[in-house]
Amino acid sequence: MLNVTDLDLSINGLPILRRVGFDIGEGEVFGLIGESGSGKTMTAYGIMGLTPVGTERGGSVLLDGDNLLQHSEQEMCAVRGRKIGMVFQEPMTALNPLKTIGDQVAETALVHGATDRSEARELARDTLERVGLPSARFPLERYPHELSGGQRQRVVIAMAIALRPRLLIADEPTTALDVTTQAQIIQLLRKLVREDGMALMLITHDLGVVADVADHIAIMKDGEVVEAGEAMTVFRTMTHPYTQRLFEASGHVPARGERGADTTTQLLEVRDVVRDYPLPRTTLFGERRHFRAVDGVSLKIGRGETVGLVGESGCGKSTLTRAILGLDRIQGGSILLDGDVIDAEQEITAGARRKMQVVFQDPYGSFNPRHKVERLVAEPFHLLEERPDRDERRARVETALTNVGLSPADADKYIHEFSGGQRQRVAIARALIIEPELIILDEAVSALDVSIRAQILDLLADLTTRLGISYLFIAHDLSVVRAITDRVLVMQDGRIVEEGDTDIIFSSPQHPYTQTLLAATPSVDRALARRLGTGGPVDGA
Amino acid sequence: MSDLPLVRAGDGDRGVWRAASSSRSFVAGFVVTLVFLAAALVSLVWTPYEVTALSIPDKFKPPFGEHLFGTDQFGRDIFSMVMVGARTSIAVSVVAVGIGVLAGVALGLAAAANRRGLLDELIMRSNDLVFAFPVLVIAILITAVFGPGVINAIVALGVYNTPVFARLARGAALSLWSREFVLAAQVAGKGKFLISVEHILPNILNLLVVQGTILFSLGILAEAGLSYVGLGAQPPLPSWGRMLAEAQTLTAIAPHVALIPGLAIVIAVLGLNLMGDGLRDILDPRVRRAGR
Amino acid sequence: MLRYTVTRLISLSLSLIAASIIIFFVIEIVPGDPAAFMLGLNAQPDTVAALQRELGLDVGPVERYFRWIFGILQGDFGVSYTYRTPVSELIADRLWVSLPLAIYALTLSTLIAIPTGVIAAALRGRPTDTAIMGVTQLGIAVPNFWLAMLLVLLFSITLRWFSAGGFPGWEEGLWEGLRALTLPAIALALPQASILARVMRSALLDTLSEDFVRTARAKGLSRAQALRRHALRNAMIPVLTIMGLQFSFLLAGAVIVENVFFLPGVARLVFQGITQRDLIVVESVVLILVFAVIVVAFLVDLAYAWVDPRLRHQQ
Repeated sequence: MLNVTDLDLSINGLPILRRVGFDIGEGEVFGLIGESGSGKTMTAYGIMGLTPVGTERGGSVLLDGDNLLQHSEQEMCAVRGRKIGMVFQEPMTALNPLKTIGDQVAETALVHGATDRSEARELARDTLERVGLPSARFPLERYPHELSGGQRQRVVIAMAIALRPRLLIADEPTTALDVTTQAQIIQLLRKLVREDGMALMLITHDLGVVADVADHIAIMKDGEVVEAGEAMTVFRTMTHPYTQRLFEASGHVPARGERGADTTTQLLEVRDVVRDYPLPRTTLFGERRHFRAVDGVSLKIGRGETVGLVGESGCGKSTLTRAILGLDRIQGGSILLDGDVIDAEQEITAGARRKMQVVFQDPYGSFNPRHKVERLVAEPFHLLEERPDRDERRARVETALTNVGLSPADADKYIHEFSGGQRQRVAIARALIIEPELIILDEAVSALDVSIRAQILDLLADLTTRLGISYLFIAHDLSVVRAITDRVLVMQDGRIVEEGDTDIIFSSPQHPYTQTLLAATPSVDRALARRLGTGGPVDGA
Repeated sequence: MSDLPLVRAGDGDRGVWRAASSSRSFVAGFVVTLVFLAAALVSLVWTPYEVTALSIPDKFKPPFGEHLFGTDQFGRDIFSMVMVGARTSIAVSVVAVGIGVLAGVALGLAAAANRRGLLDELIMRSNDLVFAFPVLVIAILITAVFGPGVINAIVALGVYNTPVFARLARGAALSLWSREFVLAAQVAGKGKFLISVEHILPNILNLLVVQGTILFSLGILAEAGLSYVGLGAQPPLPSWGRMLAEAQTLTAIAPHVALIPGLAIVIAVLGLNLMGDGLRDILDPRVRRAGR
Repeated sequence: MLRYTVTRLISLSLSLIAASIIIFFVIEIVPGDPAAFMLGLNAQPDTVAALQRELGLDVGPVERYFRWIFGILQGDFGVSYTYRTPVSELIADRLWVSLPLAIYALTLSTLIAIPTGVIAAALRGRPTDTAIMGVTQLGIAVPNFWLAMLLVLLFSITLRWFSAGGFPGWEEGLWEGLRALTLPAIALALPQASILARVMRSALLDTLSEDFVRTARAKGLSRAQALRRHALRNAMIPVLTIMGLQFSFLLAGAVIVENVFFLPGVARLVFQGITQRDLIVVESVVLILVFAVIVVAFLVDLAYAWVDPRLRHQQ
């Protein structure tokens, strides 16, 4: 039905896509896989004709034999939304904040002249119902800001499928969503494909998602398709080395040596911590109400131990992290780090701070762009009573850089000269430099591509083996947590709902929430096992 | 306001200079500004004619004769007066921008460092209040009580500039305070003051420079307006606004007396605005990348 | 919406109170003895004493402030020392020139700027856009009072289409009044329109690059449809902010431009007040100008809520 042949695309002369080709059959699910910068999104825009100014396209994109590249802009407007619908990655910004959801869905029908106004409203109501937003609970007059991320994504899907297009392109439709929501959205997409006989082009970086649903897949790297074919065949054979690497990296478990985890002496003790946020007043002079983001959380980390803290967005894990770091005050409970009280309300001694460092999620926002790496990495020296002199400082920075697999000469570079993965290494070097006992990894690998992520996990495993550092590993991605932690805590709505040894929690979760989380997490192994008919979950997380 | 573009240092200042010299509006604006600065500086030691020298027989000489810009109703040399007027304009605007930067940035940084605190609330509320007083109204208030003078124009503009800078600095600083590198500095035990100086200020400098240029040009316009209505520079100090006030009834007899000071204002302001636009394009990496 | 309006109303009244305190402080406290100040150095002691009584200086500053404010609430601004008439009468006449002038100019500026900005954004990078950007760049640099002088030179002295100044009064009919205000309004409006058009353009370009515009395009909307139905309204939010600020510029600008056209607006009143040290007149005019700016800021806040449902639903 859709045949893409030799699609070339360049922006202002810079080639982005080279000879991309694949076919999508009637009613089939096609998975387009690639890491960031592979050109998968630009392929979708190339098909839709929604490319930036200065774009040149070559090759052919045939929709039912009709070459879309030869369509005028006006003809493409008739195709978009009617024959091809599209869903985007970021549901929070994909909807016009000033228009009701009903109007936005109805607009699809109106702009194609398919219906009159009242019919369009009817259609909007029906379509929203089909995507799981019944008008009884979600009237057409709702505005986007009144909906959650998952609900907004349903509205975007409704807009795309309102006129029952032949093909739906979904560009990372679940990446910005929590795992449980992600599972629901994928399910919804499958249902719609079944009902309408529509084809689905699912663009994603997540092999797990694709392995579960795709009939055919193509794997892209640097603007080219490196491997394509029937999904199961590709997963079985994996002829291209990049496919193999991608596959290995996505299920990567770092080798962890014998660790001297001494769980008898506690390094960090969090006891019954409560953190409230004041809510805006609802009445003018009424009592201020509070939102309890962290509700009586206790956790312990032993020396040399790696503890995972898992939960979906809004569960309170970031708030807890800030409290442990002494950045926010707490309203109840206590935090003890190696015997020192951590409380943002009191002065936290440099001696206490020195035992704890942090690595953040965003490799791009973690550094002052105006300083060189030497100064960036040396920043925690501020906590030492005796600051090292110039030479010693340099020597220690170089050691730290070497420890994380960078070269000593990197100390003289600025941070923009590094890639995302290298920046996370610099961040780890900064955390290591004053030899802390505990490093808090706040979604430290979440923003990285799978292959880079695997390398960073290896580095972290290596460091804890060699230096005996404890980690508090905060993540929403269960597979990562499983790979690297000894113990894991599951957090929901500000509370710890389950905790225990990682192996035990993952093999026999007790709390229903943990079970839901695990079931919703996409897993290549489990999906393949299911589809090849070899039975239930084998070794998959 | 969430994503403040951060400058990539070390991309070298060379990168910045290259971008600067290739930005036509920056170069044009920079040259114009330099010319006016030079005229103002030279006027301190030399002008073609004595600006206060009256010579009634020479009145209303047309431009491009013995007198480059002609003479006014008292036979004074307009070119010399424009030079001295540039000095008044630039001095008033520069000092006013200086007041605004010093007070405003300090307040804005303090407010951001204590966000949602009492200080923040206080600073922002008083800022809102100052916004309710147009420059002219501030000047009227000051003049009514202290009498007219060029200092009034400076104070009025300074008061007006302060909240503009405070708001800009606070907004930009707030978005930086939530950045992870600032959190990392906090984890490294650095206090609010040190972080503001080390991490926040250098990263908002570009914005301040661009805003400074804009307020500089607004200052020239405002000074002219204030002097025109008699709230700014007083005789015998030449000022573009005052020259226009004196020329107002003479437009029919000798249009050049009214045209030339006005053109001086337009060109000076245009130059500064072009320079500001150019600076924004050069210093904002988002624009820079898109431009390539 | 109600909640939002109420919070804005409270903040409006607080601003009004604070502004009145500042004005009162500068005019009546800073000079020390306002009566002596108003009469100058050569005043006879008994004249000063008389004026002190007249101004009610026999009580403390707090009581004086409250007397002043309650007087104003009843429309009593005090009596002008030089004119010997109630200030409220003096101002009312003049305000009927200055305020319509500012509103006329704001209307003109908006009517010119919005379409111009939209056209420039829609034709980004084309010659029309470049031309509009060039003209507005120039427009921003022109002082309104100088533009006013040029307009007089061209339309009144050379072409004789308009009178060179003066104001016939609204009694002569709406048309005649507007006619007399047209040149001043144009002089005020053009520089502000230049600013507003540029703001409109850049706000529109910003929203055009938003995700939801891309979503709209994926639905099959053409570029023009996406601009009209989705980008325009979102771009109005920054434009409203600037329009609010512009009103204060226009009001102040009106005071300056009135001079060029010899209009009997508040300008002449306040400048005479300054030269004659008639503090009561100055105080009242300043208070009214500042109140007008604050009230317009409040109206802009309400307009935000009208445009943006997120503010209407603020919890």
